[in-house]
Amino acid sequence: MARSAHLAHVLGTLAVSGALALGLLAWQVAAATGAVLRARLKSDIVSTNPGTRRDENTDAVLLHIIEGLVASREDGSPGPMLASRWTVSADGRVYTFTLRSDVVFHNGAPLTAAEVIWSLQRYLNPQTRWRCLAEFGDHGIARVLSITAPDAHTVVITLDRAAPMFLTTLVRADCGGTGILHPDSVDADGNWRAPIGTGPFELGEWRHNQFIELHRFAHYSPLPGVRDGNAGGKHALVDHIRFLIIPDSSAARAALIRGSLDILDNLAASELIGIRGRPDIKFQQVPILDCYALLLQTRDPLLSDVRLRTAIALTIDTAGLTKAITWGTGTADNSPIPVASPFYGAAEAHIRQPDVAQARRLLRAAGYRGQPIQLVTSRRDPEMFDTAVVIQAMAAQAGIQLHIDLVDWPAHLSRYTVGNYQLMVQSFSARLDPALSFGIFIGDKREEPRKVWDTPHSRELLAQTMASAEPAARQPVFDALTREFLDEVPAVVLFNSSRLAAVRSNVTGYQNWTAAQQRLWGVGLN
Amino acid sequence: MLSYILKRLLLTVPTLSLVAVAVFLLIRLIPGDPALVLLGESADAASLAAMRADLGLDHPLPVQFLSWLQHALHGDLGRSIVSGEPVAALILQRFGLTAAVVLVAVTAATVIAASAGLIAAWRRNSAVDLAVVGAATVVLAIPSFWLGMVLLLLFGLKLGWLPFVGYIPFSESAVQAMLFLVMPVMTLTITESGVLTRMMRSSSIDVLQLDYVTHARAKGLSERAVLTRHVFPNAFAPTLTLVGLTLGHLLGGIAVIETVFTLPGLGRLMVDSVLARDYPVVQGCLLFTAVVYVVVNLVVDLCYPLFDPRVTAR
Repeated sequence: MARSAHLAHVLGTLAVSGALALGLLAWQVAAATGAVLRARLKSDIVSTNPGTRRDENTDAVLLHIIEGLVASREDGSPGPMLASRWTVSADGRVYTFTLRSDVVFHNGAPLTAAEVIWSLQRYLNPQTRWRCLAEFGDHGIARVLSITAPDAHTVVITLDRAAPMFLTTLVRADCGGTGILHPDSVDADGNWRAPIGTGPFELGEWRHNQFIELHRFAHYSPLPGVRDGNAGGKHALVDHIRFLIIPDSSAARAALIRGSLDILDNLAASELIGIRGRPDIKFQQVPILDCYALLLQTRDPLLSDVRLRTAIALTIDTAGLTKAITWGTGTADNSPIPVASPFYGAAEAHIRQPDVAQARRLLRAAGYRGQPIQLVTSRRDPEMFDTAVVIQAMAAQAGIQLHIDLVDWPAHLSRYTVGNYQLMVQSFSARLDPALSFGIFIGDKREEPRKVWDTPHSRELLAQTMASAEPAARQPVFDALTREFLDEVPAVVLFNSSRLAAVRSNVTGYQNWTAAQQRLWGVGLN
Repeated sequence: MLSYILKRLLLTVPTLSLVAVAVFLLIRLIPGDPALVLLGESADAASLAAMRADLGLDHPLPVQFLSWLQHALHGDLGRSIVSGEPVAALILQRFGLTAAVVLVAVTAATVIAASAGLIAAWRRNSAVDLAVVGAATVVLAIPSFWLGMVLLLLFGLKLGWLPFVGYIPFSESAVQAMLFLVMPVMTLTITESGVLTRMMRSSSIDVLQLDYVTHARAKGLSERAVLTRHVFPNAFAPTLTLVGLTLGHLLGGIAVIETVFTLPGLGRLMVDSVLARDYPVVQGCLLFTAVVYVVVNLVVDLCYPLFDPRVTAR
């Protein structure tokens, strides 16, 4: 009994000590955060190896560290980066790049053709698992026949055929911008160590699931001119960048208001509550080149009938849906070409008007008798599930029974890839070139079941869009594709969203762009 | 005592074997392909096949299981598909933080519950009892994420006393780390104290009605002595069982709290890994959780005789 009394005494002492300790700690104020620019990531990066194990966060962070021969400008076209200029042979097969002479790697080594060749050959080695390797295979834009260096500052790449999309492919963020690395980025066995690039920032510390810190590269030589997409003048205006991993949106908003965070990018429209209108926080909204779409499985016995697909499309009030889902921040768009693209013209601006009576007539003609249709969605973005709910309600007006099948993102992705759905709400990240936007939908379902539009004519037109780099030659083909897309309804593109960001008022120079990729060069703190 | 411990440890072998088979199969039953999650929506078939081969997912399931089991028995839980880090190191690193939060919070909740429950039972049907029962019921009804958000808004945002993003580990700054942990610990303490208080009150009421308590009072012992010597030890044993179950459950991860307060703990690791279909990490976490559960319950069973001498280890 004495023992238990002693135990009770110990527990009591513990309680009092704990309370005292917590009380004392509560009086302490957190240490100053220092001159670090702090931005939020919703989830951790996947690796530091560009263009291999990646996601959008990974691409965005690594593009502060590495640079390619060329880089995408604000309008999506390729601009100079490590190459000061380039020429293309008359047959479109030979690209000759002249390297800048003022560039050094983060380890102090100067940039020469040797590192460029090493990097490109590493990407083309299947062991590297470069995401964009297939683009340089049998079904890609062209095969690379050789990469040579006539001198230390010239690199010549020879392709097996003309490829107007060659530079556009090199600059893709998901390809890691085909960033040029120093060979010391890998160990003697070729295993990945860390990126030694030429960017305005170098990798500091990556603490998994907590933060990624970058340090300003003191010997960086920016290009003249202003920031232009991933190209142009890239100036590191802060000594350190810290990407904080904050999965919870409420915590991230509270951190921004408190001042523990400087930049809160990639907000959902519904997350603006409590931020908008505050004097200490600036708000930014930029239309981007993404799209949200309803995919229709044309191989499904029911949905193989174009009348039924058209009927579903006619029940959707695109403008109303866009306004409701994006809280007025998105733009209605029925074309795969986003509104912010320079290729968005009159043909692309056509918005299908809802017509429930016509939808009913088409349903009757197609012999639809209220069979339930599964609509797959997930909550990866809040907009995806909300869109499915609104579409379900709109379709019900014409008597179409949609059953929402809510799955998690990996299951969603898996079903998308093998085409295992009747209807699916899917979002697609920003593509800088309209051919890539159409490429999301067009393809042979036997080889790539994720493609929704596999008519020979659409594939032929898509090939034509890639046969020339001249906008004037490409525009009529895109227009024709858009019209056929609207007629055949393999998918219903719904809207393009805006990149929403909130930044503290002491942050200068922060500017989002249509590629929806966070850039922190040219950004300072007052 | 030693034979009892050995017997209990031996009994964990079939339990852990079943867990190993179950976690291996269950995670693979969930639709979703880790290679696809890694490569993204526009991955081509060849890249996917190569990635699956890299990850060893192209082998038949029994081969994958035996390979994993063989390595697990040697303490090697494999490497994370996503980050490439060794799973065992990842778990231990994350478990330290989760364990710190859980152990402090459950200890605090136990102390609060033991005192409040005992006093409420002693003053049954009084205003004190009503207040304790009312508070415990309210606490039981509050979801932990909501309470966490309220504390975050109050202490983090309005008052600005405590940090809540950008966790700093103990190895860098013990004071900073503790400051970060104040709100998660408070949240967990409050949410867990409700059920423990109800249990303590209920068992104390039962004990207070027994003859030996009346006898103790008749002997002229003070109320304090009656409560601490005679009522508390006997009433605390059932609460201790619940503390054990709570500890086992929470040490497996407090994902919601870790997400709200951006703590890199075991719960968040597990949730992130499930969403990424990071099979080795999910398997490792679940197996580790099962071991923790078994160990905690064994320790709790061994603690019983401390409170109730009628219970022996025989």
